[in-house]
Amino acid sequence: MTSLASSSPMQTSSQSVSDIMKLVLLALMPGVLVATWFFGLGILINIILSCSIAIILESGMLRLRNRNIRHHLSDNSALVTAVLFGIAIPPGSPWWLVATGIFFAIVIAKHLYGGLGQNPFNPAMCGYAMLLLAFPLEMTGWHIPNEIIDSSIRLDSLGIPEIDKTQLVFSPFSLSGLQQSLLLAFPFFASNSQEFVDGLAMATPLIEFKMAAHSALLKTRDSGLFWLSRQAETGWELINIGYFLGGLFLLYKRIISWHIPFSILLTICIISSLFYAPGSVAVYGTPYLHLFGSATMLAAFFIATDPVSAATSKQGKIIYGVLIGCAIYSIRVWGSYLDSIAFAVLFGNFFAPVLDHYFRPRIYGHAKKLPQSNSEA
Amino acid sequence: MSLFNKFFRSDKEADTSRSFNIPGGIRPAEYKSMSLRSRIMPTPVPECLILPLKQHQGDSALPLVTVGQKVLKYEKIAVARGDLGVPVHAPTSGEIIAVELSPVATTNANQDFNQICIHLAPDGKDKAKIIIANSDYNSLSQAKLIEIITDAGICGMGGAGFPTARKINPSNELGIDLLIINAMECEPFITADEALVRERAAAVVIGAEILLAATSASRCVIAIEDNKTDAVEQLRTALKNSSVELKILPAKYPAGGEKQLIQAITGKEVPTGMYPADIGILLQNVGTAYAVYRAIVLGEPCISRITTLTGSTLQTPKNFETLLGVPASFLFELCGIDEKARVKTIVGGSMMGVETLSNDIPITKTTNCVIAGSAQEFPTPAPEHSCIRCGFCANVCPAKLLPQQLLTYSISQDQEQLEEHGIFDCIECGACAYICPSNIPLVQYYRSSKSLLKGYQTDQEQSAHWQERFQFHQYRGKKAADDAMDKKPKANKTKERIEQETVTAFDDSARESARQEIAAAVARVQARKPRIIASSNNVDQDKPEGNSND
Repeated sequence: MTSLASSSPMQTSSQSVSDIMKLVLLALMPGVLVATWFFGLGILINIILSCSIAIILESGMLRLRNRNIRHHLSDNSALVTAVLFGIAIPPGSPWWLVATGIFFAIVIAKHLYGGLGQNPFNPAMCGYAMLLLAFPLEMTGWHIPNEIIDSSIRLDSLGIPEIDKTQLVFSPFSLSGLQQSLLLAFPFFASNSQEFVDGLAMATPLIEFKMAAHSALLKTRDSGLFWLSRQAETGWELINIGYFLGGLFLLYKRIISWHIPFSILLTICIISSLFYAPGSVAVYGTPYLHLFGSATMLAAFFIATDPVSAATSKQGKIIYGVLIGCAIYSIRVWGSYLDSIAFAVLFGNFFAPVLDHYFRPRIYGHAKKLPQSNSEA
Repeated sequence: MSLFNKFFRSDKEADTSRSFNIPGGIRPAEYKSMSLRSRIMPTPVPECLILPLKQHQGDSALPLVTVGQKVLKYEKIAVARGDLGVPVHAPTSGEIIAVELSPVATTNANQDFNQICIHLAPDGKDKAKIIIANSDYNSLSQAKLIEIITDAGICGMGGAGFPTARKINPSNELGIDLLIINAMECEPFITADEALVRERAAAVVIGAEILLAATSASRCVIAIEDNKTDAVEQLRTALKNSSVELKILPAKYPAGGEKQLIQAITGKEVPTGMYPADIGILLQNVGTAYAVYRAIVLGEPCISRITTLTGSTLQTPKNFETLLGVPASFLFELCGIDEKARVKTIVGGSMMGVETLSNDIPITKTTNCVIAGSAQEFPTPAPEHSCIRCGFCANVCPAKLLPQQLLTYSISQDQEQLEEHGIFDCIECGACAYICPSNIPLVQYYRSSKSLLKGYQTDQEQSAHWQERFQFHQYRGKKAADDAMDKKPKANKTKERIEQETVTAFDDSARESARQEIAAAVARVQARKPRIIASSNNVDQDKPEGNSND
């Protein structure tokens, strides 16, 4: 029998870390499904690939660190990292790109710092940022398979492929679409160069906007396209709405608090309103574009809210969100990198410890001012 | 919640609208209804009563009896000792058969498992000493009331066990403005106070009025949770013609904690490191108020209490009015225990109670509940995961601490940060560990950090002391050297002066105490590093052997 008396409290709640992670994965589903609808099976292939590699790497690292593999794998944290990473990288990325990124995320950014709970930076974003720095070309085009690729592509004056709405019919779910996606992921399966066709390389709306000085998203709306017509431009809007709904679900389930996502969104909203100059050809973009273009909602609700690398007190979280919001906008508009989410979140991560130190709730029975000791030394 | 009350419940429970919100808190499964099905049951007398000399917070009492001595009911068998002493009385007539160490359970986890107890074999005659009932309690002076309460051996019946007489007679000159009678009983499983109020509300109110007179507070409030509907009704009826107020507060754990209850009723916070009395507030448990009623009005010292015996391994969980010293196992038998299903015996509630490894522990003045729990109620805790800093713990902490940060600093033993993050403001309510999705036993970490810090603080004092000694030693050495260099001709004189200084600094008693301290320090070091000492011993032993081989 047990010889040691257990310590209070004897009663515990039923929610576990793996439940939390499962709910996060569930909340990601609407956005993922919408993204798949618009961009094809490449996204799902990304996710499956990154999840499998992540589990293998996680098990290996746990073994090297002499941890109970089954117990620690059951927290599902590696899966969340892998899914976020799989969503972030362009569909149609080759397998080695996925593997390199996830290796960096799981092995270097997470386990080398002491595993779950110890990493100062968001692992998925570390992996993404590393790829963006090392493979800028592969990371900035979105490959979308289509059937009649030869005839439909026209390039506009800036060399960006323009979609001929009358001729081009996307069918990413057909067998050939799947085949193309798989070929993009595993190029070594191609039997000849003829078979290995590059899909339609698309830019994300913000990238395109930056180069062409006007919003593809708005252009599409102006042209009176039906929202659900499977065009990439409308896609971004709906994908963001999908992640937004998933985020609301997490808020409702109290997995995340409102502080980080809403301070990010509000900051972006305010800054982009202040800088927006309608009528001019300024490159700043509308608040609407900033909120619903690219991966803003994914960042606000799923990436920046990673509790391990975020600030922990309520005041700290709000400031953390403001910092990330500012960084997202600044990097998008003035920065030289095309995608801003990863760098903005990592930028916020740098500040989390100092925010934790200076913004703490007033403890019961203490005076308003915190006792500031000489602990900065 | 208070807003909700204001708009939707104002007609029904007007008292709630004036309460203040307390931060954090949880709503765990209550398990209360099972022990509330029947009324409070009187208990037959077992073959032996075990009466610990220390059932309260403070110095243990001194026994007045010897083995073989016959005692009467109500007779004082142990006398209070020290500033925080509480006497012990014989719950029934009989013979003292032993005064020896036996297992007890106290709600304070730091106390020893075995304590000196008086073992009393009842003779079944229940012959009582004459006691003086004061039905006209209003005529008694404040000093007389406090004297009776002191003599009756009453201490906090809610579990803390602080001597009641000492508490209502605080040494500060501010006096008491508000007296709060705590009937919140927010912890799961425990229903002793609820049953008491439900069945004996009138006596509780009289007890509250006596306490009000004894403390000369300006007002008295009885606080109770809004989900105890029967008890609330009884209190309403009993309080019709009384100056005592009723406060119905929203049910949540730990709303019945001392600091939290003060915050909920007054909106004030007890400043850190201070007592409620320092801001003119006094809290008494409702069970204490009832014991005071019995002591004054019936003249009966504290020899019994109401205790909840519960848990799903009992066929009929219920509240007992039991004599002190009755073994829990005896009460378990009365309830019909399924011993095979029992995985845990807990004294107190499931949130702050302590597990006991013996079923024979006696009911003491502070035992409000004993749980014989099954695996269904207390499943083996799932293995611990890493902290993901989700912050759920910070959301439920009633002291507004950051438990996730405290955990980090507890693991790294960062003493400065622990103190700065308010480790000593933790009330160990366990809400953080309850909610933690990683199943981290947070309270255990904080307890060990607290004891470490306390040790560290005394170590720090000691190190300052030894630093002073060392500096003096250095100063002396330096001075002697300087003197020797500069004033060679006057060497003898200097030596004399130094000797004089040394003598004044270390007179004989100081030397003796210093020697003792050194011995104690050496003992401490040896206790801390037995392995090193052992290995160095080995080396010493090996050496001569090596030499002889050569």
